[in-house]
Amino acid sequence: MGSFSALLDGFATAAQPEYLLYALLGVTLGTAVGVLPGIGPAMTVALLLPLTYTLEPTAALIIFAGIYYGGMYGGSTTSILLNTPGESASIVTALEGNRMAKAGRGAAALATAAIGSFVAGTIATLLLTALAPTIADLAVQLGPADYAALMVLAFVTVAALLGSSPVRGLASLALGLFIGLVGTDTLTGQSRFTLGVDTLADGVDVVVVAVGVFAVGEALYVASRLRHGPVEVVPVGGKWFTREFWSRSWKPWLRGTFIGFPIGTVPAGGADVSTFLSYAAEKKLSKRPEEFGKGAIEGVAGPEAANNAAAAGVLVPLLTLGLPTTATAAVIVAAFQSYGIQPGPLLFTNNSAMVWALIASLYIGNVMLLVLNLPLVKIWVKVLQIPRPYLYAGILLFAALGTYAVNFVVDDLVVLLVIGVVGFFMRRHGYPVAPLVVGLILGPMAEEQVRRTLQISEGDLSALVTSPFAAVVYAVLAVVVVVAAVVRVRRPKAAAAVEDKTPTAV
Amino acid sequence: MISEKVEEYVFGGLVAALGVFTLVDATTIVVRGSANTVGPRAFPYAVGALLVVTGIAAIAATARGKLGEAEEAEDIDTHVRTDWLTVAKLVAVLVAHLVLIDAVGWPVAAAVLFAGAAWTLGATWWRALVVAVVLALVVQVVFASGLGLSLPAGIFEGVPLLDG
Repeated sequence: MGSFSALLDGFATAAQPEYLLYALLGVTLGTAVGVLPGIGPAMTVALLLPLTYTLEPTAALIIFAGIYYGGMYGGSTTSILLNTPGESASIVTALEGNRMAKAGRGAAALATAAIGSFVAGTIATLLLTALAPTIADLAVQLGPADYAALMVLAFVTVAALLGSSPVRGLASLALGLFIGLVGTDTLTGQSRFTLGVDTLADGVDVVVVAVGVFAVGEALYVASRLRHGPVEVVPVGGKWFTREFWSRSWKPWLRGTFIGFPIGTVPAGGADVSTFLSYAAEKKLSKRPEEFGKGAIEGVAGPEAANNAAAAGVLVPLLTLGLPTTATAAVIVAAFQSYGIQPGPLLFTNNSAMVWALIASLYIGNVMLLVLNLPLVKIWVKVLQIPRPYLYAGILLFAALGTYAVNFVVDDLVVLLVIGVVGFFMRRHGYPVAPLVVGLILGPMAEEQVRRTLQISEGDLSALVTSPFAAVVYAVLAVVVVVAAVVRVRRPKAAAAVEDKTPTAV
Repeated sequence: MISEKVEEYVFGGLVAALGVFTLVDATTIVVRGSANTVGPRAFPYAVGALLVVTGIAAIAATARGKLGEAEEAEDIDTHVRTDWLTVAKLVAVLVAHLVLIDAVGWPVAAAVLFAGAAWTLGATWWRALVVAVVLALVVQVVFASGLGLSLPAGIFEGVPLLDG
C-alpha cells in the first residue's frame, strides 16, 4: 500500500467525529498551555498521560500531537503580547512582535505568527508525510550499534551544544541517565539503585520526573522571584489584512519553513536554533534592515514559521527512529511506550493505521489551530491574564494529581517533591532541564542497544564503531563538536547573550 | 552574589557526590552469566563517571567565574532577591498535601494544597479557599464518575458522587 492511500485511510479515521473532538481538545489544551506561562507542552503531555490510560492509543496520541502543535502556536501570542518571553523558541518573536504590538500593530504581528505557523506546519507535515516512510524503510536495516550511535549523537547535541553551559547541560543529562538506571535491569532482572525501597523497584516513572522537573520545579522557581501586581498585556491594535502584510510576510514564511524543517529532523535540538537562523536570514535579506529591533514583521513571520516547521521536523526522527530530540518528544516517546508501542522503523509496518491517523490529525490540527489563534485570539488574551497566585496554585494541584494518578501511592508524591526541588535549583544555576528528560528516556534505550551490540560481538568493543553508519554518525558528531567549540570561543559576548537562552518550557 | 556562588559549589558537589555513590553502589549490583557480555554494572559505571566529571567541571567553571545563568521566564522578576520564605511555604504545603491524602482523603488534601499555594503567592485567603474547595470537589466528582479512576474520598467516604 502506497503512503498516499495510507494517508487517505488515516484521514478517514481522523475525520471521524470522535477523533475530531480529541484533536480539538488537544489543540485547545495545547494553545492554552502555550499561552500560559509556567506550563509547557512537555509537562502537559506528562500530566495527561495517566488520565488517558482509559483511552485507546490512537485517541491519546491525537490529543498529544494536538498539544504539541498547539503549544507552538500559543507561545507566540504570549511573547507578542507580554514583554517577557516564555518558550525558548519564541524569544526572537518577542523581540520584533512585542515592538510591533507596542507600536499599535499587534494584530498584524499575531496574524503573521498564526498564518506563518499554519503555512509552515502544513508544508512541514507534507514533508513529514513524504519522508517518514522512506526513512523508516531505510532505518529497518540499522543494527543496535547504529542506534547506539544515533543516541549518543542526540545526547551530545541536546546536552552540550544547546544552552549556554555545556558542562551544566551534560550534568543535567547525567542526572537524567542516573534516574533512568533506578529500578530493575531489563536484561538481567537485577535491581539497581533502589535503596531497598519497593516503590523504586519498577523505576522512577517518567511522568513523575517530567512533572516534577517541569511543573513543581518551575512553580517553586517562579514563586522565588514572582513578578507581583497585575499582568500587563499590550492591547491588540491595528489592521492586519492589508496588501503590505501579505507581500512582506509570504517569503519569510516559506524561508522559515525550509530553514526550520531540516533543523528539526536532525538531532540538533529542536526549534531554538532554527528561529535564530531564520531571524538572521530575514535581517540580512530585508530591504529595511534598520526596522529590525524596532518591529519588523519579517522578524516575526520567519522565525514563527521556522519554529513550527522544526516542531514538525522533530517528528521525523521520533516516528521513524524512536529518537526524541526535545523534552516534549521524549515525553511523547514515553506515551507511546506506556501503550506498549515502540516508536521506530517498525511503527509504519506494525501500527500503520494508527500512525497515519496521527499524521492526518496533524493536518486537521493545523487548520483548527489557525481558527483558534486568528479569529479567537481575544479569548487567549483573557487566559493570559489569569492572576498568577491561582495559576501556579493550579499548576501545583494538577502536578500532584497527575503524579498521584499514576499508581495511587503517596510515595510517588515524595519523589515528585524531591525532583521538583532539584528542578528548582537547576533553574537557579543555569542547568537546562531538557537534557535530564531526554537522558531519562533515551538512557535505558541506549544501554540496551550498546549491550546488544556487545552481546553479538561477544564483548568486542570495536563493534560499536565499525558499522559504516555508526562510523559516519560519530564522524559527523566529531565535526559538529569541533565547529561548535570554535564558534563558542569566537562569538562575541553580546551575540552570545542573545543567542544562548537556555530552553525553558520546551 | 557570594551566596549564589556557594550554592553553585554545593550543587556541583552534590552532582559529583551522586556520581561517587553511583560508582560505589554499582559494585554491589549482582552480576550473573558469562564474562564476555556486558552486564548490568557497565552502564552505571559510565553514568557515575559522567556525574563525577561534570560535577567537578561545574565547580571548576564556577571557580573561574562562569556562574550559571539563572533561567528567565515571563513571570520572573530578575531584579528581586530570592524569596526563600515563599519557596519554603510551598514545599510545606506540598508536604501537607501528601500527608493528608491518606489521613483525610484527596478532596481535603487538594483543597489545602490549592488554597495554601494561592495564599502563599498573594491571593486573598478566603477567595483562595472558596476556589480551592470548589475545584477539589469538582475534580473528585469527575474522577469518581467520569474517568473510572477513583481518588480516595477519605472523610467523604460513602458520600454519593464523591466516593467512586
